[in-house]
Amino acid sequence: MYSCIILVKRQVKIMLRYEIKKVFTKPLNKAVLLILALALAAITFFAAASVEYVDAEGQSSCGIAAARRLREEKNGWKGDVTEQTLLKALRENIRINDSEEYLSKDFQENNKAYSKKQGFSDIRNMINLAFGGFQEYDYYKIDSVKETEVRKFYENRIHNLKEWLYSGEAAGLFTDEKKDFLIRQYESLETPFYYEYADGWKALLEYATPLIALLILITGFLVSGIFSDEFQFNADAVYFSSKLGRNKGVISKIEAGFLIISVVYWTVMLLYSLILFFILGADGADCAIQTGMAGWKSFYNITYFQEYLLTVFGGYLGSLFILTLSMLASAKLRSALLAVTIPFILLFLPSFFNGILPLLNLLGLLPDRLIRISEAISYFNLYQIGGTVVGAIPILFTLYLILYCLLLPVLYRTYRKAEIR
Amino acid sequence: MELKFNDLTKQFGSLTAVDHLSLTMSKGVYGLLGVNGAGKTTLMRIICTLLKPTGGTITCNGQDIFTMDAEYRKLLGYLPQDFGFYPEFTVGDYLSYIASIKGIRPAVVKKRSRELLEQVGLSKSEHQKMKKLSGGMKRRVGIVQAMLNNPRILILDEPTAGLDPSERLRFRNLISQLSADRLVLLSTHIVSDIEYIANEIWLMKEGQLVQKGTCGEIIRTMPEKVWCCVVDKSMAEAFTAKYGVVNMKSEAQGVELRMISAGKPTENAVCVEPSLEDVFLYYFGEKAGENNASV
Repeated sequence: MYSCIILVKRQVKIMLRYEIKKVFTKPLNKAVLLILALALAAITFFAAASVEYVDAEGQSSCGIAAARRLREEKNGWKGDVTEQTLLKALRENIRINDSEEYLSKDFQENNKAYSKKQGFSDIRNMINLAFGGFQEYDYYKIDSVKETEVRKFYENRIHNLKEWLYSGEAAGLFTDEKKDFLIRQYESLETPFYYEYADGWKALLEYATPLIALLILITGFLVSGIFSDEFQFNADAVYFSSKLGRNKGVISKIEAGFLIISVVYWTVMLLYSLILFFILGADGADCAIQTGMAGWKSFYNITYFQEYLLTVFGGYLGSLFILTLSMLASAKLRSALLAVTIPFILLFLPSFFNGILPLLNLLGLLPDRLIRISEAISYFNLYQIGGTVVGAIPILFTLYLILYCLLLPVLYRTYRKAEIR
Repeated sequence: MELKFNDLTKQFGSLTAVDHLSLTMSKGVYGLLGVNGAGKTTLMRIICTLLKPTGGTITCNGQDIFTMDAEYRKLLGYLPQDFGFYPEFTVGDYLSYIASIKGIRPAVVKKRSRELLEQVGLSKSEHQKMKKLSGGMKRRVGIVQAMLNNPRILILDEPTAGLDPSERLRFRNLISQLSADRLVLLSTHIVSDIEYIANEIWLMKEGQLVQKGTCGEIIRTMPEKVWCCVVDKSMAEAFTAKYGVVNMKSEAQGVELRMISAGKPTENAVCVEPSLEDVFLYYFGEKAGENNASV
């Protein structure tokens, strides 16, 4: 009995090895992997180049040395964002505003002035956001903030939200429970914020979305043929008339799909993360995302590291769901071409409906949101189940994990029952 | 080993591809003859569990083959008519993969593959890519994959299709060798292949068996006689229209015709021994000359 189990396991391993070999020996798939490597290099380059340092002469640069200098400048402001820190930023801003470089009409001179501000540019942005309206951003707001107002910094963030929620702009968008939930979330955010240089995380998270989307589209080509190739190569009759063709053979195909999706995804994400951390640094992991412009309004009280985890695991779950759906289409429709369109439809179609207000809640739960966690984090997509209000992210993770688990037996049964006419 | 069809029926919409077949098969070679669309491939696909019958059952030693599932397919070897493969695989890889889905012990796969490759004359092609093989070589790999699990039931759908005469002869002998101690169901468009190696021949038409028996028995079922005569070239067309002409050969003095007729068609006609080809033409008429059922 025991030796029989070992034998079956060995056979499944061999089947799995050959299923993977089938995928990677196809000339199209070799080209697809090359495209993936080029896309990874290009996106990593753009992400790294997005972090700029302006030197004392007003010259911009990017790369490892530039990131190191920017880190040194910003880490001069490292620590809790207290009233003292804000006052210091306010005074430093006024001092630079009074400098010749700032007042000059020469663009290059203005750049020199900016080089002096870049160390506290993030804190400057937070002040602009806290003292501007909820739906506004005024780059020069800091110039008009008085020292006596600074103590209202954290209070203003909550006040702005309340003002907006009860204004005509947000009328009809949220129930009272949802409004209470948002206010509670804002109030429960730990203050004062801890701040340090986090540009590595910001760049990584910003470019993670296009990378994951591209990764899914490209992996779609790899896995779309796993099931349909048997039909396309006319190898189906031998396959399904074999002893294990309708049971363990199907399992080995599902396993091959899972392994290819997982290995390709994690290899690319690991390389992307490591290269960017090497170039831009990984400081700021513990900073709240609200210390950055993109996360200021978010009601998810998380750090950059937690957002990174949500992004990579969300992307992984999204890849698994979308690509398994693509494999199901491959098994059902017997066409790799039709299967490969599934990721394109799921990733791009929702964008066409983005402006339609009644669809906002539905769009917030589509699988493409798992790929765009940074967006999902900044949107106020709330769902009410009875008296409980939850954000889109916990629902997305739960929903698509369940749907993915349900897809597997459906895929197994669909392929197992295939008839060859 | 006994394979029994009980009132087996397969319908595709309004088309009945297999029509209430009740038969029993045991050890030996069964030759299946029929024109294109007679239901041969459908029947074979049902036997291989690739299609579910609309009605009736197939039992293997008393058990329903669809209930037996993998246990039944363990006994099966199948070479389909349109035998496909993975073009980038080498012959060795392809056979190892098929061996794994056939549930063959990994320890015996290499030995078994090499023995069979040698038997079909492909021992030097183990490392060659499948896509580089000639048509005949591919079909030989096809028979090797069908034989990998040493099947008790071997189903060969048009195994000699597209092969040149020498390859065909080689294949025929190979099938003869492989048929010992197993049940072989063979369909082919080449009547002589079946004539030589089948123990029992089934003539299938519109999903039903019109005749079955040994080659001699089938020939004896034909109520008409086979005649040979030489006629003037201008008369040949009239004879073709009136009688079932099996063969036509131009000679210096006219055209030599071989035809089927109850009575003597001309004064100079000579009655000859009928062959399976004649019977085939008799039962299937004009359609027998089409690509899937040429004589």
